[in-house]
Amino acid sequence: MHIPDGLLDPVVTILLWIVTIVIMVFGVRKIRALFKDEDSEKLIPYIGVLAATIFAFQFVNYPVPGGTSGHLVGGTLVGVILGPWAAVIVIFLVLIVQSLFGDGGITAIGANTFNMGIIGGIGGFYIVKAIMIVLNKTSMKKENKLAIATGIGAYIAIVLAALACAIEVGISGSIPMSVIVPAMLFWHAIIGIGEGVISALIVWFIYRVKPELITTEEQFGLLKSELMTTEKKSEV
Amino acid sequence: MVELEKYKWPIIEIAIIIGVLVVMIAIGFAIGILSTDPDGLERAVIDAKGEEWLEGLPSVWTPILGWIENEYVAGIIGILLSVILMMVVFWLILRLKKRENIKN
Repeated sequence: MHIPDGLLDPVVTILLWIVTIVIMVFGVRKIRALFKDEDSEKLIPYIGVLAATIFAFQFVNYPVPGGTSGHLVGGTLVGVILGPWAAVIVIFLVLIVQSLFGDGGITAIGANTFNMGIIGGIGGFYIVKAIMIVLNKTSMKKENKLAIATGIGAYIAIVLAALACAIEVGISGSIPMSVIVPAMLFWHAIIGIGEGVISALIVWFIYRVKPELITTEEQFGLLKSELMTTEKKSEV
Repeated sequence: MVELEKYKWPIIEIAIIIGVLVVMIAIGFAIGILSTDPDGLERAVIDAKGEEWLEGLPSVWTPILGWIENEYVAGIIGILLSVILMMVVFWLILRLKKRENIKN
């Protein structure tokens, strides 16, 4: 879903750069949960690893039936692990590195960050949060709840990001809206399955092995449900 | 002074994860499970306008690492660049946050 240079109109390009920069500046101010502990420096190497993982999974394409291929976008995945604001910054930086290799245009980094970081990261995070409200009422294990919510959230976010991308291309006049919107939705409805499955598996694995790396536990109500379970046990 | 002991385990874990990623990419290329087909956006654009049109789109620059033809080498360089860039930026954000906290 990396928009190359020249596909978008200059006005659309500049507008999306402005929106992205404003949200990133706001995001840097809003990142709190990530650095709330005294020894939060310890998280930084893990953020580096997450970046490496996102880069690697975005770089390599898995085959998808119908003569196309898919790759992880990772916005929702990073949003679930580090929070929505950090996700935008992570995706922005990964897109900069990828543009050095010609994967996505340099002038289109603003638009690509908007689609994959803001819609994928912030949008995906809040979709996962909404799903978690429902899942927290069930007796499922915490890692299963979070993995299911992440999988569904990542799938919906990728389809929404594809829709936004198609609208941007359509507004730019490069390809008629009536052609690009259905095509992008069709392909990403298929590609999104891979995004959902990979994101869910990574979150499930991290939550099993190193749950402290999921810095958004509290925001998803997972700590609250743990507290309630402990209280119920003590009552028994 | 950086306390290396404090970062010993994170560094070991990171090295292992990066190693696993590099091996995964190598295996993917070696056994050919990775696809060279266009991705979703490219597919939609090619179906609408053709491959030549997509490749002929004007660009303001030539990607500075675009000369690396070996995808495996490009993948490893990209992974390392991402790790360094991300750690530097988030370290700076952390410093900024700590300075703000001291001021407040």
